[in-house]
This record gives sequence, C-alpha cells and structure tokens, in this order.
Amino acid sequence: MTLQELYSLIDGDYEQALRVLRMDKLLDKHIRKLTSNGVADKLLEAGQGMDPTQLFEAAHAMKGVCANLGLVRLSAAASEIAEEYRPGKPRRMTDAEVKEKLNSIADLYAKTAAGIRQYTEG
Amino acid sequence: MMKSNKIQRPQMVLVVDDQEINRDALGVILEDDYEVIYAENGQEALEQMRAHSSELSIVLLDLMMPVMSGFEVMEHVRADEQLRHIPIIVLTAEKSAELQALKMGAADFITKPFDAHEVILARVGRIIELSEGRQLISTAEHDKLTMLYSRNFFFEYANRLFRYHPEMHMDAIVLNIEQFHNINALNGREFGDDVLRIIGKEIRAFLHETEGIASRFEADEFDIYCVKQPDYRALLNRFQEKVNGISPNVNVHLRMGVKPWREEVEPILLFDRARAACNMVRGNYQNPLMIYDEDVRTRELLNQQLLNDLRTAVEERQLVVFYQPKYNVQADPPRLSSAEALIRWKHPELGMISPGSFVPLFEGNGQISIVDHYVWEEAAKQIARWKEKYNYTLPVSVNLSRADVFDPTLEDRLVRLIQDNGLEYRNLKLEVTESAYTDNAKRVLDVIRRLREIGFEIEMDDFGSGYSSLNMLSDMPIDVLKMDMKFVRNIEENETDLRLVKLIVDIAKYLKLDVVAEGVETEGQLALLQNTGCDLVQGYYFSRPLPPDEFEKLIQREIDLERG
Repeated sequence: MTLQELYSLIDGDYEQALRVLRMDKLLDKHIRKLTSNGVADKLLEAGQGMDPTQLFEAAHAMKGVCANLGLVRLSAAASEIAEEYRPGKPRRMTDAEVKEKLNSIADLYAKTAAGIRQYTEG
Repeated sequence: MMKSNKIQRPQMVLVVDDQEINRDALGVILEDDYEVIYAENGQEALEQMRAHSSELSIVLLDLMMPVMSGFEVMEHVRADEQLRHIPIIVLTAEKSAELQALKMGAADFITKPFDAHEVILARVGRIIELSEGRQLISTAEHDKLTMLYSRNFFFEYANRLFRYHPEMHMDAIVLNIEQFHNINALNGREFGDDVLRIIGKEIRAFLHETEGIASRFEADEFDIYCVKQPDYRALLNRFQEKVNGISPNVNVHLRMGVKPWREEVEPILLFDRARAACNMVRGNYQNPLMIYDEDVRTRELLNQQLLNDLRTAVEERQLVVFYQPKYNVQADPPRLSSAEALIRWKHPELGMISPGSFVPLFEGNGQISIVDHYVWEEAAKQIARWKEKYNYTLPVSVNLSRADVFDPTLEDRLVRLIQDNGLEYRNLKLEVTESAYTDNAKRVLDVIRRLREIGFEIEMDDFGSGYSSLNMLSDMPIDVLKMDMKFVRNIEENETDLRLVKLIVDIAKYLKLDVVAEGVETEGQLALLQNTGCDLVQGYYFSRPLPPDEFEKLIQREIDLERG
C-alpha cells in the first residue's frame, strides 16, 4: 500500500500533509508514529476522568498533530474539544455531549489506526 | 576584498515544540538556510538559548508545552540581559494568544499547521534581518566600553540639537587623559579600560543631571555637548576625583578644553576649538582646564603659523643652534667637558622664539624630526669646525626624540653624519628623554642598544621626571644620567630634594654612570652637588646657551687652562 492509498483509505488529505512535511519520508515516519505516540490515547484517557485541563491539553496536542498529518476530520473533532475546555472560555457543551464527541473521535481514530496498521504491515 | 558571507555571523535557529512532528516540519523548511537546533520544552529551550546566546539568530517558540510554557520562556528571556536580544517568533494556532505574546516581546507569529513554507522562511528571514540591523545600529551607535555615543552618531545628534533646539545654547567640552598610552603601557590594557569605563560612567551620571550628550571621540578623548555649566573647574574636578579613586599607585590626570556656545557656530567647529583648548593644556598638571577665548585663538593661530613656517625656517636657516657648556665639577677648577646643542628660531616676523614655544608643538605633530636632523647636522659640523680651528674636540649632546627612534633610517643618518664630518662616534652624544622609554620600551631599547654598540654615548635626559623604575634603569643601555632640573632647583632650601639628589648620584655611581645636574644657577647649588659626587654640571652658573662664536671664548679659556 502506498501513502496515497493509505490516505484514500483513511479519508485524509495527502496533499495537505505533504505541504507541511514536504516529503513522503517524513510523512511516512509520522503517520506510523500516530498509533504509538500516545496522542490519541491521552485524549481518550482524559475523557475517562473528564478533567478539563487534561482534556484541553490532550485535545490541543491531537488537533496539531492531526492537522500536520492532513487528518482533517480528527483534527477538527479534537479542536472542538480543545475549544470547549480552553481556559477562560465558557463551556458550551454538556458533559454528555463531550463524551459523545469523544466516542466519535475514538471511532474515527480506530478506523484511522486500522488503516495505518494495514499500511505498516505492507 | 572579503566576501560578505564571511563576515556574516552564522545564523542559528532554535525550534521549540513538544511535538516531534512540528519540530520535523519546521526542520525541513529551515534546514537548507539555517543551522537548526531543537528543544522539546521551555526549560530545555532556555538551556539551549544560554548555551548559544551569541550564535542564535532567532527562536521559534511553541506556546503550549509541558514542563515550561512558551509564555514562561518569554518571561525569563525578557528578564535576562544575555538573552533579551534574541528575537522570538511564536508558533500558534490560537489567535487569542497573539496579543499576550506580542506584549511579552514576541517579534512575529507563525500559524500552525506549517503549510506555507515560503511565508515561514520569509518571516524568519525578515525578523533576523530586522534584529541584526537593530543590533548593528546599536553597536555602531554606542562605544562598547563607555556606553557613550560613538563619534559619528554623536555629531549627528549634536547637529540635530543645534538645528532643532537653537534656544539650548550648548557648550562643547573635550576631556582628555594625560599620557594615556603610558598608563596603558605601564599598568596594562585592562587598567586603561577601567579608567575609560569609570570616566564614561561619571559622564553618564553627569548627563542625568543636565541636558546634553556625550561621546568617546577617540581612545582617551571624550566629547560632551551640554547646556552651559556654572563652573567648569568643578566639573573637571568631579571627573578627576573619580579617576583618583581607581588606584592609589597610579596617577591619572585629566585635562579639559571648553568652547562656550556662540550663535551660529556649528558643533563640529565648536568641538575643534574645544579640542584645541584641551591640547594647549597638555602636560599642564597645575592648570589642566582651558576655556577657549580670544587669547587661545591667538595662540592657535600662532601655532599654525609656526607649523606652516617650519620648512621655510630650515631652508632659510632661521633655526640657529646655541651651545650650553657642561663642566666637570670634580676637577679643580671645574673644566669644560662637553656641551649641549640647543635650538633657537630667529623668525623673520616674530623675532627670536624660544624652543618652549615650538618644540612641544612639533613633538605633538611629528615634525620634531625635521628640527632634530637640523640640529644634528649643525652640531656635527660645529664640532668639526672647532676641531679644525683649535685642534680641540668638544663632544656635543643632541636630542633624540621619540619620533627619531622609530625612524628606520636613523642609524644610517647618524653614521653618515659622523663619517662626513670626520668625527668619532663618542663626539656626538645622544640625549633621550626618560619618558621616551616608557611606551614600546623594547623597541626603544633595541634602537638605543644598537646605537651604543656602534659607539655613540647615550644620555638619559630629564631623569626623575618620568616613570622609570629602578629595575628598568639597570637594563638600560645608557652612559650618562641627566637629573631633571626640578631636583636641583631647591636643594639649598629643601633637605628632601638634596637627599634625593644624593640618592640619584649614588644609584648612578652604583650603575657606573656619569651624572649631569642641569639648571645649576648658584654657587651654593654647585657646592652641594660637588659634595654629592655629581660629575658634571650644566646651567646659568657657568653659562647660558651661547651662539658658536661666543662659545669659542670658553674653548679658548679651556685651551689656556690646559697649557697652564
């Protein structure tokens, strides 16, 4: 599977990712790392305790990493959580709505991770 | 010509982001143009900045990081003198953080994700350029040692004050350090730098109390452009007191020239005159302040005329050499031993001019060698003439100035002079003032040593007026010590002076040197000097300096004495 095929499989924006990382080699390095760098796991773990600071920091990190990788939907979903918990800003969602968002992030991430595993396993 | 990239400082960029993907993304953008180093959090960033503070051109700083946030990093940087000059570009996706970062000193922003490579490179390049430009201006604007303005900026700002604030009536002050090269030579460059720093600091303190600006104009010269001060002597004393406190073992003397404000006289001219006034009190430790007025102007014009007329004076033989005898006072009766050649100037308009009016002037501008060469030639010819006329050889001393010592043709010129006139080397004695030995002593000693090896006798003139240490004296290639006349002047009244004279004579004897006492005017002085064991005496007691024809009477008398 090529990188472009992977991006097609996980509904990512390959062109966007290449604009940021400039070369397939770096894109390959960081897309492989997504399943092991703990960025998504931290957000999902923070969702267990619903700690606002942890949620904000983890969502902020995930938003950035996914944006760089052209994982537009994951980035946008993480951004919603980050904005929800941005220090000094009033909350807009209920905890239940946040949990629902986190669940959809978990689903999306699971599909993305499955695709990446397929890619890494050749 | 040096290629400009060789004098550019290497441009190093520090990328600070906790996410490896961000560090990599920026790395691939920047690595072709810059040396890139990385940090994963704020604390690491500060460590890197401190380790590379002189090489770092810019920091790209993420705001949200574990351990220490970007905001905390900026707080530390702002408080740190060593790091404050390094510009920071903030990496953020949050609009809301921009204002706070700007207030904390961020130079610009780069928004995430980093997908606009050309824009990022352009921003980094522009901020580095702006920051280096600002640093260059700041470096060029100020003298690093004293933090006063550098010369060009000072005059630019002085001109602006003159043009835009004519109501301020500002005076020009020039402050100079006496014999600064000797202070450096004897106490080391670091001590000299301390002196400059302390004066700079006091000038800055003074300018906090009054309206004005200041510059380190040259190595040891300070220009101050300020509103009229009530008492310039008090101002000079204020600076002098500061330098007096630097070291109990080193005397640092300042002198000051002031040109008061005059309508429509521009700063550059005002400072020319303040500088001229300051130069006129060079070496005047009793009265080191000169306010430029009409008298100074007259003297300045006279000096200029003398400088212009020197070459004509040589060509038209307006310079005349007089001779003052030196007597061996250990003989009874005292016997003519040698003479010193002394210059006079018979100026066609100004009449007879004493050497005190022109020798220091020519020493100051390097033309003294013209006078010295003239005296050497005249003296050598005169010795030869007397030798032929009386069959009597009278050795004559001539001055060797500092400028002569550094002339590569010196040895050839002197040797030729001796040969052309059929003399022996010891007939022409060379007097070198003590102060000539202090700066670049090795070079001076080498030259003197070679001249002595050729056969010339060397006299150290004005011994005791300068800075020689006893240690140095024992290494000096000299034959005769000429005591400064200040020691002799008061030996009849002042016991301390007499003891000093005895001490100098003893030292000279110990080093197997002859001693000459200058400025002897009375019988009492002569008697005391004879008792100390002083060999030779020169002064009005025996004779004033005489033109050659009058001097011949002394030679005739000496020949008569010899014949008994």
